[in-house]
Amino acid sequence: MLLELRGVSRRFGGLLAVADLSMTVAGGAIHGLIGPNGAGKSTVFNLITGVIPLTAGEVFFKGERTSGLRPSEICRRGIARTFQATTLFREYTVLQNVLVAAHLVTTPGLASALFWSRPYRERERRARDRGRTLLEALGLGPVASQVADTLPHRDQKALALTMVLATGAELVILDEPMAGLAAQEKAETTSVLRRLREQGVTVLLVEHDMKAVMGVCDTVTVLDHGVRIAEGTPREIQTNPAVIEAYLGADEPGA
Amino acid sequence: MELSRSAGVPSAGVALIALAAAALPLVTRDSYYLDVATTILMNLTLTMSFRLQVSTGQINMAHISFMGIGAYASALLVTRVGLSFWATLWIGPLVAAALAVPIGSVALRVSGPYYFLITFAFSEVVRLFFNNFFEGLFGGPSGLVGIPKPDRLLGLAFDGKLELYGLMAVLCVGVALALVRLDHSRFGLTAGAIRQADLLAETLGVNVFRYKLTTFVLGSFIAGLAGVFFAHFRRVLHSSDFGLEPMVLLVVFTVIGGTGSVWGPVVGTILMTIASELLRELHHYEILVFGAVLILTMLFAPEGLVALPGTARRLLRRLRGRAPAAAGVGLAP
Ligand SMILES: Nc1ncnc2c1ncn2[C@@H]1O[C@H](COP(=O)(O)OP(=O)(O)O)[C@@H](O)[C@H]1O
Ligand SMILES: [Mg+2]
Repeated sequence: MLLELRGVSRRFGGLLAVADLSMTVAGGAIHGLIGPNGAGKSTVFNLITGVIPLTAGEVFFKGERTSGLRPSEICRRGIARTFQATTLFREYTVLQNVLVAAHLVTTPGLASALFWSRPYRERERRARDRGRTLLEALGLGPVASQVADTLPHRDQKALALTMVLATGAELVILDEPMAGLAAQEKAETTSVLRRLREQGVTVLLVEHDMKAVMGVCDTVTVLDHGVRIAEGTPREIQTNPAVIEAYLGADEPGA
Repeated sequence: MELSRSAGVPSAGVALIALAAAALPLVTRDSYYLDVATTILMNLTLTMSFRLQVSTGQINMAHISFMGIGAYASALLVTRVGLSFWATLWIGPLVAAALAVPIGSVALRVSGPYYFLITFAFSEVVRLFFNNFFEGLFGGPSGLVGIPKPDRLLGLAFDGKLELYGLMAVLCVGVALALVRLDHSRFGLTAGAIRQADLLAETLGVNVFRYKLTTFVLGSFIAGLAGVFFAHFRRVLHSSDFGLEPMVLLVVFTVIGGTGSVWGPVVGTILMTIASELLRELHHYEILVFGAVLILTMLFAPEGLVALPGTARRLLRRLRGRAPAAAGVGLAP
């Protein structure tokens, strides 16, 4: 198992947002995490990536415990994520955003940054080339020198995804990567996810578009009120009575 | 911070500073003007290193204390231990940097207003320490006096204003060169990313704490360097030289110019040091004037004076864009 959650809980005051959750994500899969609004999906992502501390439980990545580590260290071990509310370095260009994200793969030390030695400049050039290649692959080549803040929503989403890939992570965690996208753009994102799977990158996905989730995921875990209520193939999930009940009982059907 | 630019472009700006500094003695050798120019270069060293920390989102209110630590360390090592100024010129900053490691490690556990407060508290502790403790060593309220000028180096005596000015110019240009390079390197890019969205940077693998600590320690080293020079330039040290008032001035100098690039502190420091000289008559009230200037800058040029052309252009574009709509609404005055 690439990722394993053991009895993970998170409390916010009186609210148990995630309750004794155990789940595993297999390497090489696209794994969906679904559930009504407020089910605790984003909180689970925050717990896995160390953004907030766990109330109880443990997280293991490639057999090593990652809970309790700094987010940067967790990223260094191979887990990178996007945020539900798309977050970028707004004042930077698209390429600069990707260069920051490629930090782990390409960053030189302080001394070589001070002296701008030939190897330093050579490495900088390679980092830029690598960033451009990645941007081309995600369709952002033409806007590489545009400031992130001025991009349309769909390009901002694509950039956030590109940045996560630029870290070189083995496990990519995406929080609603298709929110607010048109059908055509969703299809593009879906094909990017499939391409990642081909390259051996594992994807853990929260997404509200059920058609997209059921179409692309190998396994789906369903969360309701912080509790895992079902897990299986998309086909099994779609006919699971507990899942249907949770979604019918929710305020927002299909969410 | 545009990484595609070549190494030559940012360094050209520093060359300009170096040229201007070298040209001054050709224009005047009046000791008053040399004094002011030396003070500008010393302040510039401080504001540029302060901005280095601001560039990762820290407002370090103890920055001036590390200048003090460098100053007292050098003064004592020269007068009590008999070391050469040319040795303490390195030892002083190293002492400041060494103390910055534990202090930064504690202060950087918090951020925002808490960081501001904790560094402010620390600076007061340092000031009171120099003022109230080990009076035989630090001189207490009457100050540490009798600090000698730099000793001879390579047959060159440093007893005139011109030589001291030249030394400060070399130090300042060296610091500027290092900081401009850093700013335009990957390090500067990451520092700016931390300022814009620290959590995003952290989840992308940037150890935000280590980056901030690095800038804290490096900034303290440079402040310590300015402190060593200060000690042997003024030749007397008072704890108030490193108190709240000069710290506030340091913030004002930096913020007025703008913290977006190293050029902000350059513009802010030159203008404000000259203004400070002109306002000398006002004594302690000058800080009121600076406060007013700071407020005006915050209101009308929040990105600082160097960003003013760009800000004005944006504002004009917005006004022009809005003008027809406003007319269409037809609100009678
Ligand atoms: N930082 C927080 N402080 C307090 N409550 C929170 C916090 N983050 C999430 N919650 C609460 O935890 C529950 C789960 O939220 P979340 O994980 O965002 O759900 P989802 O992503 O499934 O929509 C919600 O009731 C939410 O209000
Ligand atoms: Mg969510």
